[in-house]
Amino acid sequence: MAWRREILLSGFGGQGVVLAGRSLGLAAVKADLEATMLVSHGTETRGGYVRSQVVISDREIDSPVAERPDIFLALSQAAYDRFRHLAAEGLTLFDGGLVRPSPGHQGREMDLPARAVALERLGTDLAANMVALGQVARVLGVVPLDAVRTAVAELSKRGRDKNLAALALGQALDLGGALSAGEGRGA
Amino acid sequence: MRRLFDTGNAAITEAAILAGLGFYSGYPITPATEIAENMSRRLPPAGGYYLQAEDETAAFHMAIGASLGGLRAMTSTSGPGFVLYADPYGWAIGSEIPVVVVNAQRVGPVSGITGAPGQGEFYLSRYPTHGGNFETIVLAPEGVREAFSMTIEAFRLAERFRTPVTILADQLVTDGWEAFEVPEGPGEAEALGLPIPARRAHPGPEFYPPTDEIDVPPVVLGRGTGGACSDWTPTEEGYDTEEVEAQMRHAFRLVYKIRNNRGLIDRSELLLMEDDPGLVLVSYGSPSRVARSAAREARARGLRVGAISLKSLWPFQDRLFPRHRTHLVVELNRDGQLVREVQRASGGRVHFLGRCGELPTVAELLEALGDVAAGQAPRAMPGARESW
Repeated sequence: MAWRREILLSGFGGQGVVLAGRSLGLAAVKADLEATMLVSHGTETRGGYVRSQVVISDREIDSPVAERPDIFLALSQAAYDRFRHLAAEGLTLFDGGLVRPSPGHQGREMDLPARAVALERLGTDLAANMVALGQVARVLGVVPLDAVRTAVAELSKRGRDKNLAALALGQALDLGGALSAGEGRGA
Repeated sequence: MRRLFDTGNAAITEAAILAGLGFYSGYPITPATEIAENMSRRLPPAGGYYLQAEDETAAFHMAIGASLGGLRAMTSTSGPGFVLYADPYGWAIGSEIPVVVVNAQRVGPVSGITGAPGQGEFYLSRYPTHGGNFETIVLAPEGVREAFSMTIEAFRLAERFRTPVTILADQLVTDGWEAFEVPEGPGEAEALGLPIPARRAHPGPEFYPPTDEIDVPPVVLGRGTGGACSDWTPTEEGYDTEEVEAQMRHAFRLVYKIRNNRGLIDRSELLLMEDDPGLVLVSYGSPSRVARSAAREARARGLRVGAISLKSLWPFQDRLFPRHRTHLVVELNRDGQLVREVQRASGGRVHFLGRCGELPTVAELLEALGDVAAGQAPRAMPGARESW
């Protein structure tokens, strides 16, 4: 059975959302899967968003749009407010240190304290994106974690060791979230 | 073969270098800047020349000069720079100089929105210069992987037809990321269906034959062939003339070398068209990918829908369109450009769904298909109360 997963990663500029998306896409490619990524930015000078739409599949990908994401990662309030409604059928991971979740949304959501973990364990919030990526990869389940590690190591120009440590921390977090075998849609 | 996860801009760069690019000149503009940036790093070590020009007009003229010197040449830009190509584009058409041109379309008019996709140069790419008496070749990749193969194809077509070839991409193709494969060399490329023939030079003395034949070697100056080139109407030897008869022969060649061989250019993709569906989704570039998803989904819901993804835009491939069927044309603009050609080619009812700055979703296309199947214009097009 062909499968397709949509991952929507979002935050504000400088958080490394795009690097997280590139790492996930490259990891998928290293695992002989197909991957696409669309990157877009809000046009606001302040308080805008960065959005990385990643699609991963075991076969050729038609639409590269993550219109009903299986996983939605929100690292900023603006991104959460803007895209949360898309994830009614998926799993939302928000960083509770940066996002105040609003009630009334459909779908599961969990607090992923990526920034706090990075600050406490590594002394820098620069690696919060990698903590988040680690959890996303864990929950996603279709991209081998060692491929994600290889991809992060390859793409980290600076702070490679911290990024890998952050990735491992994120992968180790047990928030109780997982996509069940039936989730995600056919390609 | 290397497998990469990178952007369309990177894929175009790698493909051009694999195709034997000898000269790149350009002027930076979003969303094509990374082609120039990548070229500045990658081309010189590969033995080619990189030149940042003072503006787009100069960039294309420089590429023409390099091509006349026997090098494979290329330039790239977005809409606001593509209009500045008008003068050199005419030169390259009239003097039959192969150059590959990339236009990464963004949202217009004028400077519009830089980092978002548009499709506003469908007609401009058909008529990129003044004077008439010519056809153009325009290819349209729908993603990164196709941008790679199409760039190699563009160099081949530019030399076979002795004319500039435009790769009409959009921002989601050039800035979007995708897995793609890079062959290690021309041998591996040929095995994958991407032959890279050697650059040839016309031996003279009749450099501009008054026929529609293709595969006439390009004119190369300064290599002892006595080649001639100017922007006036040429005699067959390449000397200036003001004779109407000579102009007629020249124009015949510029038009019919392409028109009579259009079958060699098209790579368009038909999906779910075997059972002659009454409703056909038509698109090119990145919207084609959503259109295919929507056509499959529509079928799963019992609606008989097919999809035509155009891979070459000009010369227009009329034969692809079933006569007197209903078509829904999806474009990244609000005015509707491709829709006019589809109407002409199909003679059927043609509806239009326009978006700008982002792709329509599968859900939106399904709703529009439902509307059209029910005989009404897509509700998603406010103000469009009638069919196109």
